[in-house]
Amino acid sequence: MSAHGPIPVLRIGSTLLASIQVELRDTIADAFQEDILKMIAKTGATGLVIDITGLEVVDSYVARVLGDTGRMATLMGTETVVVGMRPVVAATLVRMGFRMEGVLTALNVEDGLALVSDLLVRRHSGGH
Amino acid sequence: MPLHYFMEKLNLDEAELQSRRNFFEITDDDLNRLAGLRGFAEKYIDDIIDDLYQLILGHPEAKQQFTEHVTLVRVKRAQRDYFLGLFSGRCDLAYVEDRLRIGVAHERVGIPPKWYLGAYARYLRSIFSRLLIALPEPAQAHAAYQSVEKLVAFDTALAMDTYIAAQLDALARHQAAIRELSTPVIRLYQRVLLLPLIGTMDTHRADQLMETVLLKVVDEQAHVIIIDIAGVLVVDTKVADHLLKTTEAVRLLGAQTILSGISPTIAKTIVNLGMNISAMHTRSRLADALELAFEIVGKRVTSIAKKPAGTPPETAQDS
Repeated sequence: MSAHGPIPVLRIGSTLLASIQVELRDTIADAFQEDILKMIAKTGATGLVIDITGLEVVDSYVARVLGDTGRMATLMGTETVVVGMRPVVAATLVRMGFRMEGVLTALNVEDGLALVSDLLVRRHSGGH
Repeated sequence: MPLHYFMEKLNLDEAELQSRRNFFEITDDDLNRLAGLRGFAEKYIDDIIDDLYQLILGHPEAKQQFTEHVTLVRVKRAQRDYFLGLFSGRCDLAYVEDRLRIGVAHERVGIPPKWYLGAYARYLRSIFSRLLIALPEPAQAHAAYQSVEKLVAFDTALAMDTYIAAQLDALARHQAAIRELSTPVIRLYQRVLLLPLIGTMDTHRADQLMETVLLKVVDEQAHVIIIDIAGVLVVDTKVADHLLKTTEAVRLLGAQTILSGISPTIAKTIVNLGMNISAMHTRSRLADALELAFEIVGKRVTSIAKKPAGTPPETAQDS
């Protein structure tokens, strides 16, 4: 399963995995947000992992779109984790005063998927 | 260090050479005059070099420095080349390279500038007294001496520049070594790192700290890094801010930071300065931080029955 945009989104069970491999220009970032939210609505995915290992440069706009997307997905009931941020990108964002609040992070896709399933287990056990 | 390193370091190209020559007022007339004194130089070379050696060998400290590092025979040969070089009638890049070679050699064997300068001064005096003998006309001797003095001053500047460049280079290398030592990230356990901080934190070190921490976390795929600040002399708002920024960046990577080694003084400072470090896990003792780190990676430190002291590991059995 894949979105219309240039960023492929895979569906693994009830979790979506988006791997950003292209340079995220403003228009692509906007389209990505749109696609992801639509896919969540359509599939009822309960988890979302956004892999940004391929991103070497993140400007403040793209960082905001990523953070916003995470928060929006969370609002829609999807546990969202951003994974694979590069050290240089993290250092730059922090120096710009950008905190990506309300978005969970993990080191890599594997950890991200594990975190999502942990959160879902907790959510279910908490519900009973 | 190789010669071309110094040529580059001192920006010694054609333009720089011209600029130096202009400032030391070395004209083609000077060079021609010196070339014309070649016969004089060859006649008095042994005298003048012996003079120089009287100075060096008559001074216990200088003598030791010279004889310790280089054989006198080699120095004497180099001195002859140097002396005749003054009367070659050249002052081009090849000449500069020649002069730098001598400076580099002296620097390498650790001859301090004071011996250089003293030796150059003796040189000039020796040459002057011989010029007075060789040139009957005082005006002629005077002009010749001025030309020699200009070129010797030019050489002195090159020697000092080489010496300073070598020192600066050594300093830069030491600084790099200290920087490396200042952020020693240790792998304590699978996915658990420890960074013990010691000494004074400045902005430069803090920047470097963040970079090293982030790279290590990704390299080791660590889930937790403990930053122990027990050895940090002063924790002020700046230091706390750097630690917070590092914590935030580590979080963006998908890992967590534990701050340990918080003494009563540091705790007081943090509260009194109104700093909010609630984003960080904090512990006073490293042991507690380690337990928390284990908890984060899903491990637990637990007590087991103690083995009697002296029991070799292979005979130990579960009861």
